[in-house]
Amino acid sequence: MIWLPLYGLFYAIATLYWARIATRANGDYQTYFSAGHALAPWMSVLVIAGASLSGWALLAGSAEIGRNGFGLPALMQAGIALALPGVLFFKRIWLLGQRLRLSSLTELLRAYWGSEFLAAFSAVVAVIFAVAFAGLQLRALSGLAADLSGGMVSREIASVLLGLILVSYVVIGGMRAVGALGTVQAVLAASAVVVLAAFALVDAGGFAALNAGLARLAADPATAGRFLVAGVIQFTAGIGREAAAGHEGTALASLSFAMALMGVQASPMIMKVVLSTASPRGFAAGQTWVMAGAFGALVAFCMATVGAVALIDPAHGLGGLLAGLSPWFSAWLFIGLLAGVQLMAGLALLAAGEALVRHLYKPWFHSTLSRRDTVTLVRVAVGLGLLASLLMQALTPVALTLLASLALPLAFQLSIPLLGMTWLRWMTPPAVVTGVGFGIAGVLLTEPFGIAVLSFFGLDLPWGRNPWTIHSAAWGMAANLAVTLLVSAFTQRRGFGEEGQEARRFLFGLLGGNPRVRALRSTAWSVTLAWLFLALGPGLIFGNYAFADAEGHWVLGMPPIWGWSLMLWVAGVVLVWFLSYKMELASPVLVDVPAYEPRPKLPRRQGEAERERRRIALITLAIGFSLAVIAALSFGQA
Amino acid sequence: MSQTDHRMDRSVLIFSLWGVLGFLGLGLFLEGMQRDLWSVSAGGVALIVLAFVAHIIVNGVYDTGFSQGEAALGIGAYGLLGLVFVFSAIGGTMTMADYYAGLTLFGVLAAGFLAYLFTRHGLRGAFSRFHIKPMDKREERL
Repeated sequence: MIWLPLYGLFYAIATLYWARIATRANGDYQTYFSAGHALAPWMSVLVIAGASLSGWALLAGSAEIGRNGFGLPALMQAGIALALPGVLFFKRIWLLGQRLRLSSLTELLRAYWGSEFLAAFSAVVAVIFAVAFAGLQLRALSGLAADLSGGMVSREIASVLLGLILVSYVVIGGMRAVGALGTVQAVLAASAVVVLAAFALVDAGGFAALNAGLARLAADPATAGRFLVAGVIQFTAGIGREAAAGHEGTALASLSFAMALMGVQASPMIMKVVLSTASPRGFAAGQTWVMAGAFGALVAFCMATVGAVALIDPAHGLGGLLAGLSPWFSAWLFIGLLAGVQLMAGLALLAAGEALVRHLYKPWFHSTLSRRDTVTLVRVAVGLGLLASLLMQALTPVALTLLASLALPLAFQLSIPLLGMTWLRWMTPPAVVTGVGFGIAGVLLTEPFGIAVLSFFGLDLPWGRNPWTIHSAAWGMAANLAVTLLVSAFTQRRGFGEEGQEARRFLFGLLGGNPRVRALRSTAWSVTLAWLFLALGPGLIFGNYAFADAEGHWVLGMPPIWGWSLMLWVAGVVLVWFLSYKMELASPVLVDVPAYEPRPKLPRRQGEAERERRRIALITLAIGFSLAVIAALSFGQA
Repeated sequence: MSQTDHRMDRSVLIFSLWGVLGFLGLGLFLEGMQRDLWSVSAGGVALIVLAFVAHIIVNGVYDTGFSQGEAALGIGAYGLLGLVFVFSAIGGTMTMADYYAGLTLFGVLAAGFLAYLFTRHGLRGAFSRFHIKPMDKREERL
């Protein structure tokens, strides 16, 4: 088996080449964090789409369809579900970043809302993405590498090797390497998805044979439910407590899962790319044609095809397919998968390292840290983040899975502060902060991680994961939104900080509204709600039967729910185009954005305050740890 | 956009092109040889030619030619694969399908390379790319 190591070597050389090019362009550390805000729009479009979809779609998406069938159609609408928040946020967030000269979500949240809690929360989300969410995918990939090597390389060694490649280019080249190499990685990953789907089809004997196999499964009463959405909602106590009738894939499970996916676009790692982009010219095209169109098609058709082949014969899942191919093809496809996962992991590690060091440690504890030392510390933090991830992959895979499942729903809670910054001016800082706090509680109380932690301390909740078949992202958002609305109503007199006020003045002055767009507003609301209802909401029930005749034969020659999803994917692309261009939500703004000059302030001596903060942090940590141990010993379960 | 960013954009495109079309073409070429199917190998050659064409288009967009590194890598890989092909042919381990597949690859690449040189630099110019003039002749022209 020479091909996998050979292609792996090529890949490693390419990553180091880009690390070298990037670090020379960075001047070692000067533009390490944001590539000098000069990332070409077309690159940022590909990096965002690749990081959001490629690795996850093939590893998790196809496995989900292979295991449970087509009962969760939100999977196939991932391209549209991910494009919608991009259309809503990216342009305005980019404008705010330019105006305030900020380069990360953590900084923006701090500047706009004046909240250290939101800054810290976004850093925590970034760390969870870097350590757990990416770690879980790297672990799956390491297992695949171990299988493909025929046992020559163990999973642990594969993890370390893949981790070394990853950390080398992130540590050396920073955002410029992640952006440039990420573009290549996105193209490689997308091509691998297409080629893998083609091989899957050949393996199944063609599209007609594949659907004949699916039809046989649908005719068997034991497996027929895999092609149906199991009702609008089922009032069960959740996974682990009470099983749903048929399966967990209800319409509201789809809707709430799509919300979780939207969390990717509100995450610090994707915002890092948005804020490092040179111009907003690519956002409309990127969200419409690349994310919703091209990558949406990859998911709706290619990922579903790979999953469908595994549904018919579980031995022909991703691993089985790769093992059955010639070694040069399986090696190339593996590199494509690796590229997709490393793109997301690299971006997440960089965002996490920067958030921890530059946005938390430096302003709280060490404001005199020079730029060079900040970059050095970020590099150390990136290395430590990867080390933590590798250790968790090897030693605590269950904890890694529990932690990883928090990433998307927690990131989705950041949508409310982002909505407040970009659209809903009536949201107040106390309301948003309290809302996010309740959102976090909502997520933790309906996720296995929170349930397990509470159980450890002796508190057994009467529900399991996804109660009422609703994903934790939606439970968190319900709490978040309700509290934000309520508290906003009572705190309208509370003002914003200086930068927050300036951001509001600037954004709403610049994008005040065009009469043509205002006239289309009701149409936009109507078509968006109609699409959400049919593609992700209760309307999915129609998809169970829309393309089947009275005898239950499939009119399109494919499962009706798959045909329904493909039809609504096409409608979704049109919707994203309409919102991006006609409603001007993501259309280019060709104005020069001058930097905001804050009023001069007298510099304050921070040394004493920082020493005091360090002392308080240490004491808090020690007391917290002691209390946790005491509580666990007193009430905890063995 | 700075000159460095411009060069990086071009390099990203070149890497993407060859990472997909080049490696996929190589895979198809080898698959054809393994299965003794010339048509499959020819499909691989077509993909490699497509990668070259795309590379030349990118060069045209960025108003540049092949870099020294690219030329060295291309000619080196061509030479190495040529050597492997010649030794395999001499060793007698190749089937007729393998033989024709190899000839197709090297023939098409050689023809394509010459066509590129002639169309880009003209007949005389193409020759001058390789003709190293002695120092005294160069000085005469000064």
